Amino acid sequence: MQPMDSDHDPLFRYTFSVYSHDQVYYDDAYAGDDDGVDVDEATDDSNVLINRANSTSEKSYLILKEDDLLRRQEEDITKVFSVLSITRDSACMILLRYNWSVSNVHEAWFEDEAKVRALVGLLEVDPAVKFPKSGDQIVDCGICFESISKRDTATCGCDHIFCKTCWKAYVCTSIDDGPGCLTLRCPEPSCAAAVGPDMVNVLAPDNKKKRYARFLLSSYIESNKKIKWCPGPGCDYAVEFDDDFEAGNYDVSCLCKYTFCWKCMEDAHRPLGCETVAKWVLKNTTEAENTNWILAYTKPCPKCKRSIEKNHGCMHMTCRPPCGYEFCWLCLGPYLGHDGRACNRYTNSQKGGELPEAEQQRELAKKAIQRYTHYYERWAANEKSRKQALSDMNKIENTDLKTLSTNYCQPETQLQFILDAWLQIVECRRVLKWTYAYGYYIPKKEEAKKSFFEYVQGEAESGLERLHLCAEKELQSYITNEESEATEDNFNNFRVKLAGLTSVTRSYFENLVRALENGLSEVDDHGSDPGGSSTKVRGRARGGESSSLGGGDGAKRVRMLMRLGMDDGVGGESSGGDYLDDDDDYED
Amino acid sequence: MVDFSRVQKELQECNRDINVSGISVNPKSDNLTNLIGTIPGPTGTPYEGGTFKIDIDLPDGYPFEPPKMKFATKVWHPNISSQSGAICLDILKDQWSPALTLKTALLSIQALLSAPEPDDPQDAVVAQQYLKDYQTFASTARYWTESFAKTSSLGVEEKVQKLVEMGFPEALVRSTLEVVGGDENMALEKLCSG
Ligand SMILES: [Zn+2]
Ligand SMILES: [Zn+2]
Ligand SMILES: [Zn+2]
Ligand SMILES: [Zn+2]
Ligand SMILES: [Zn+2]
Ligand SMILES: [Zn+2]
Ligand SMILES: [Zn+2]
Repeated sequence: MQPMDSDHDPLFRYTFSVYSHDQVYYDDAYAGDDDGVDVDEATDDSNVLINRANSTSEKSYLILKEDDLLRRQEEDITKVFSVLSITRDSACMILLRYNWSVSNVHEAWFEDEAKVRALVGLLEVDPAVKFPKSGDQIVDCGICFESISKRDTATCGCDHIFCKTCWKAYVCTSIDDGPGCLTLRCPEPSCAAAVGPDMVNVLAPDNKKKRYARFLLSSYIESNKKIKWCPGPGCDYAVEFDDDFEAGNYDVSCLCKYTFCWKCMEDAHRPLGCETVAKWVLKNTTEAENTNWILAYTKPCPKCKRSIEKNHGCMHMTCRPPCGYEFCWLCLGPYLGHDGRACNRYTNSQKGGELPEAEQQRELAKKAIQRYTHYYERWAANEKSRKQALSDMNKIENTDLKTLSTNYCQPETQLQFILDAWLQIVECRRVLKWTYAYGYYIPKKEEAKKSFFEYVQGEAESGLERLHLCAEKELQSYITNEESEATEDNFNNFRVKLAGLTSVTRSYFENLVRALENGLSEVDDHGSDPGGSSTKVRGRARGGESSSLGGGDGAKRVRMLMRLGMDDGVGGESSGGDYLDDDDDYED
Repeated sequence: MVDFSRVQKELQECNRDINVSGISVNPKSDNLTNLIGTIPGPTGTPYEGGTFKIDIDLPDGYPFEPPKMKFATKVWHPNISSQSGAICLDILKDQWSPALTLKTALLSIQALLSAPEPDDPQDAVVAQQYLKDYQTFASTARYWTESFAKTSSLGVEEKVQKLVEMGFPEALVRSTLEVVGGDENMALEKLCSG
């Protein structure tokens, strides 16, 4: 993502202001309204929501590319061979044996060189000895048992002679087998002479050499407690974490777009702690047999009973014609009945009457499963939705933006608001997912906390559904450009609407995250989040509703924020917040 | 691809001193990737007097990958599965080296018969018995050797008759029995595989 460009064309300055609230929002639209608290808090970090989620902190980690890693590794190798006066490859093998600790190598070597050599299997011999260039003497290869002339053989410095063909197969098989090839020894079982990088370089073909080098680099990284590979699929980056940094937030966002927790290597799980996440993941594994059916991706339409497959991201489903029934994927209730509310609440529907004991126990067990299922299903659905959103976003970034740019005569840089919306969706799905694990672990007796939690979560969730729906369905109509309404004017209105929804949703989620991080104690009114937008929206709110503030009533404040977002149309120019524009919602 | 030239050499080499070692390796059929190894039970052990057959499969990467070996003869031993004949031996796994041969592997298995390692068991039941009640272990092992590892006491004519009754031509039965040294099971296997 690019940092937000504040020097852009003045025409777009205003329309963008909705999204780019850091600077432009206040300078242009609300400068007079604001009480000034946050005006100059604007940060110049890149305007990516992932950073925004961490807005209280600077980056505490560094993404390292393979080149960076190789350079560091080479520096350490150089430190060893220049001091020990041995070959680079020998230095490499000794470091491998001593967990890549340069100081340990120096210490051990100067204490007892012979011992180090024996441990590593290092015979410091001339390369000419390992690969004889001449010699007609006929010898027997110890592997294929053929007689060959000496110049077609190799040894790793010991007396055991094998032909080059067998050596190649020996080295390649070992590299294929895995990282064990790094400590490969002479094929003769009783011999400890090491087969090092120098041998591999001569004997192995390029692709095996590459694999070998990769193992060597991995061992370097695994020995370093501050560096870990990004667990993202197919990702080659590593992440160095500054562990002197404030504890508590280990979320890392890699350049490959994968986000994960550096501490426990699970998917990024702010605002939950690693312990809760581990507990939840374990719970899911143990419950897996019971809940597998949940992952079935089809459900019958509640009205016509035809099976419907969910392959879009949002939860608003519309059955195929002629039925056209609109329902919520999660609760299967009518979508209109939701009226913008989310169905995140877990209700303990049945009250246990006077049942026989066995019956009561069965009821209890059933309820426990139902309760778990409620949270699990929502957790899993949001994860699936997040993955879908990620792939939708990639498609939009790679193909649809070009189409839109042509259709509506706008440079792609001016379409950034679409990607911002999708980034927000991806991040919100992630947070929302984890809040369901959080909800599961709220103690039963904490009624007040639970209802506050469900309130904040519900607001955030319904905000997100509106945003997701808009970014998915409405955007699609502009991409296909089939309907007559898809005019340039309407597209600009769409821009305002989507950017507004993005901004509002961001506020909701910041509140949600803050509420959970505070353990659902009442949210501090002057939250410790000077860069966050919600503080600013709050600041603005004081102008209109100052009397109702100050009590620190989180729920009330959130409700007010919501009203702000909806009634004001956030940009101050929306025609009336018709965010539930869902006339063409087909899932097929 | 299996290095068949090396396998040929191995077979010749191994069968040359069969009288000294008692260890032999023979192709199961024309295909050199399936072999049968034979080892005599070591003297002074419950396996003494038995002849143990080992199924050998050579993987494509042989000799750079270890041969797959398991007991075809049932045996009662802590490191050998009494059910499947699977063998727990390091040189058949990660300690294999292409400088080893089928014969050295069979010699290692023979050594394993002499010196079980109950702390690294393949068959937990046998290993328990070995550690807790060696006497019972030894007599069970001896009984299994008697029952499964000794060439059947049938005379040659009885074996011929038995196989002919199964539908094989008498001349072929006689020549096959000769090739496998009178072992009726191996003869049957060879007859069946054509
Ligand atoms: Zn060779
Ligand atoms: Zn050697
Ligand atoms: Zn990555
Ligand atoms: Zn974690
Ligand atoms: Zn329907
Ligand atoms: Zn959808
Ligand atoms: Zn619902």
